[in-house]
Amino acid sequence: MNKSYLGEFEELILTIVGILQEEAYGNAIVTEIKHRVDRDVNLSAVHVTLYRLEDKGYVKSSMGGATNSRGGRRKRIFTITNAGIAVLRAMKESRTELWKLIPQLKISYGQG
Amino acid sequence: MNNNTTPSASVLRLLRWFCPEALYESIEGDLREQFEIDLSVRGKGYAKRRLLWNVLRFFHPEIVLRNRFSITLINTIMIGNYVKVTWRNIQKRKVYSIINAVGLSIGIAFCMLIFLFIRDEQSFDQFHTNKNNIYRIDVHEYAYWDVNVEEKDRNDSHAYMQLGLKQVLKEEAPMVEYATRYSNSFKGIVKYDDKVFTEDLTYVDADFFNMFSFKLISGNREKLFATNSEVAITEGVAHKYFGDENPIGKTMQIDSEGEKSFLVSGIIETPPSNSSINFKILLPIENRPYYEKQLDRWGSFSTPTFVQLKAGSDLTAFNYNLEKITEKHMGDRLKNRRKEGNVPDNIDIFHYGYTALPDIHLKKEIDWEKVSDPQYSFILGGIALLILLIACINYISLALTSSASRRKEVGVRKVLGAFRKQLIFQFGFESLVLACISLIIGFGLAILFLPFFNEFTDKAIPISNENLLILLGSGVMITLLVGLLAGSYPSLVLSGFKPVLVLKNSYGTKVNTAFTKPLVVLQFALSAFLIISSVIMYKQMYFITTKNLGYNSDQVLVIPTQTGWNNEAEKVVARFRTRMQHDGDVVAVSGTSSSFNRGWSKNGYKIDGINRSAFVYAVDPYYVPLLNLELESGRNFDVNIPSDTNAVVVNEALVKDMGWTDPLNEYLNYNEDSVGPGARVIGVLKDYHYRSLEAPIDPMFLSMDKEFVGHLATMLVKVSSRNIPETIEKLTKAWIALYPDKPFDYTFMDQDVARQYESHQRWMSIVGLSTGFAILISCLGLFGLAGINAVNRTKEIGIRKVMGAELSNIFVLMNKQFIWLSIIAFIIAIPFSWYVMRQWLTKFEFRIDMDWTLLAGSILCGVVIALLTVSYHSLKAAHTNPAETLKYE
Repeated sequence: MNKSYLGEFEELILTIVGILQEEAYGNAIVTEIKHRVDRDVNLSAVHVTLYRLEDKGYVKSSMGGATNSRGGRRKRIFTITNAGIAVLRAMKESRTELWKLIPQLKISYGQG
Repeated sequence: MNNNTTPSASVLRLLRWFCPEALYESIEGDLREQFEIDLSVRGKGYAKRRLLWNVLRFFHPEIVLRNRFSITLINTIMIGNYVKVTWRNIQKRKVYSIINAVGLSIGIAFCMLIFLFIRDEQSFDQFHTNKNNIYRIDVHEYAYWDVNVEEKDRNDSHAYMQLGLKQVLKEEAPMVEYATRYSNSFKGIVKYDDKVFTEDLTYVDADFFNMFSFKLISGNREKLFATNSEVAITEGVAHKYFGDENPIGKTMQIDSEGEKSFLVSGIIETPPSNSSINFKILLPIENRPYYEKQLDRWGSFSTPTFVQLKAGSDLTAFNYNLEKITEKHMGDRLKNRRKEGNVPDNIDIFHYGYTALPDIHLKKEIDWEKVSDPQYSFILGGIALLILLIACINYISLALTSSASRRKEVGVRKVLGAFRKQLIFQFGFESLVLACISLIIGFGLAILFLPFFNEFTDKAIPISNENLLILLGSGVMITLLVGLLAGSYPSLVLSGFKPVLVLKNSYGTKVNTAFTKPLVVLQFALSAFLIISSVIMYKQMYFITTKNLGYNSDQVLVIPTQTGWNNEAEKVVARFRTRMQHDGDVVAVSGTSSSFNRGWSKNGYKIDGINRSAFVYAVDPYYVPLLNLELESGRNFDVNIPSDTNAVVVNEALVKDMGWTDPLNEYLNYNEDSVGPGARVIGVLKDYHYRSLEAPIDPMFLSMDKEFVGHLATMLVKVSSRNIPETIEKLTKAWIALYPDKPFDYTFMDQDVARQYESHQRWMSIVGLSTGFAILISCLGLFGLAGINAVNRTKEIGIRKVMGAELSNIFVLMNKQFIWLSIIAFIIAIPFSWYVMRQWLTKFEFRIDMDWTLLAGSILCGVVIALLTVSYHSLKAAHTNPAETLKYE
């Protein structure tokens, strides 16, 4: 149980890596988060989290090809692993389970 | 322009410095991308600030410590394993572990002791609060009058001053705050109640107590020595005379050239062993014998003098003052000296100097009690390092040659993912564990050996808490050093094995000992050096102690007459002779001004315009027969010929010096009598060694002229060899009957003579002891190597035996290489020891020749030791049944 626990920020990053597919690298993730959830995150925080996820085995990384921008520096492309997808799915499911346990009464009361 | 649109290099360099290599490129790329976006959207100022900020944000533990952190993690995990493997190895190879531990611990113990020695040497006189302002005045003189001194030895430095100098210094040198004379060459008879002993007396000025920091246990420092009839004594003396009584206010009788009463007014701490100033009984200097007479004699140098300068005084100004004092008080005298000795103007004939108090101990040029040669520290340190080095070589060569058994381990470890660094760490750790074990043993050994070491080196280093701490501290330092030194090479070699080759067994089962051979040779050469040195030292000391000195000092008691320098002395000798001469056990009684190794006096005189000098002894007619001195020609003094008081008996060296052909018709005008021809020569003695064998036999004469030459301050009593203790008891009784108020002190002349070579004897013991240890350690190493060698060749020997080799063949085969190694080692060691021992032997005027028999003897001895060491394994190997060793093939 403990091992598969993800923090909120880790979960966010992992999800974004899943969304971006082949284009998931540091800057792209920062931009994507800004674009989708309108949240300013720091590049270093993204990197640190990515490495942590890599240690846990939820993402893997490889160096992409060189480009003309970025002073010719290669990108480190992160891809989500099966374990990563599994942990995301497990978290989503467990949350849905919990969500179901909230009494529906309250909602209907509000609606009423 | 271009410069301004790219990220600044220094910021990126900062990133590169802390960022792990693997992550760097992508991080830099991301940062650059961000920078480019910022540049186009917000301008370059913002972009640059943002970049710096971002880089700083990356200084994050999870970035910085990535990778590095993981390695340390593995190491801490592995340490448990290393400890286990180390322990198993020690147990598995008990013999080698013991050899290493014994060798290292002896080396460590030696080093610790030597460290204590050197520290003790450095600590001399450091305990005085005013040590930086106290100086001893020295004199540097040109020995113009003594013709028997070679030119190079003419500059004579000593610390004995004129008695009047202290007052002059206080009055004429304004920077002198305190000054004291310090005269400790006198003995006196000290009495309180029925207790009578001879004691060393030290005469000082009242300033002594203000300058030096010896604790005053009771008494008033300010008022001490306010009168001339006070005495300050150490606790030991207080206890000896007064027991449990309080000595303060009691009166002691002290007799040194006349008895006087002194009031005990101070009890002072006994000077510690690292003090250059030593005393038991302190008396005001005005009581010193001949004080009044010598006070304004500027030609008489008798009394050391210390000054304390005011804090911050200028030493050049002090020097200038000393020069002025020399000119004022010695000017005319020095001019005369220069004229008399025909000393050229460019030679400095006399000047005062000074030595700072903490420097006195190691300033060997100027003689002082306990003065020491800083060379001793170097020699001892060198010996300790040699032994440590030999022990380290043991460790290295044993670790290397036994590495075969560790190869598989290295291979497996590497295959399982161990880095080379980890293996180096592992083997380094093992050697450190062994060094730590040795440290514990060595620490115990050092404490055990300290009393013997003190005896050898003539020191009194106590086992105090402070010293224990120093021992431990230095031990830990040495251990770390040894662990690194001995562990680094084997660990580099062992960790370098290629796993594939090791595991495929391409190295074979044999261990290559090629790289350990030079180490063994070096080790054996060091031992050989010590062996040769100690053999030569032993031969020289044997030569000295058994050489015919030209006189017979057996069963001769040396008894001070305790009368002081006056004609009472002659009366004591005469009375004692009258009383004892009919005793069957007393062979003869004689008197002399000074006995062997108990002082000497040298006279300088001018004959026919030539400066000459000779040693002189005042004697009586019984002296020559008592010592069995041989006459070359002429006769001894005769009691019945009154004119013999103005006659001399000379030695052959003096005859040669004077160039006499018929000495018995000559006169020796040693007292520069301008009227008569001087003393008549009545006899010529064969040369005998009246001084130590370190000195040549210089011209010497015996005289009975008491007034001019001296009084019979020492009585010699020759006793028969039968029941000596009883005879001594009889002599003591006779003395007490004659002089109940004077102590009966005696020594044996042969012991006095032997004492001249005490320091050489000590050095011989030290070198001998270290040689013993060096041989022991290197033999242990050799033993271990021979064992490995035998194991390596088990199969070969098996095959040879099957093919019909004799036991003796195998024995020779196994030992041959070790014999060669030891011979090579000796060949290397010979020139070094030859050189060093020649230097040592030059100290002796009479010495053995170093010839090839000595060297051959040492080589033979060394080779035999080596042979005995390795024989155990060769015999064992030769006796093994070949079936045992070959059946596994």
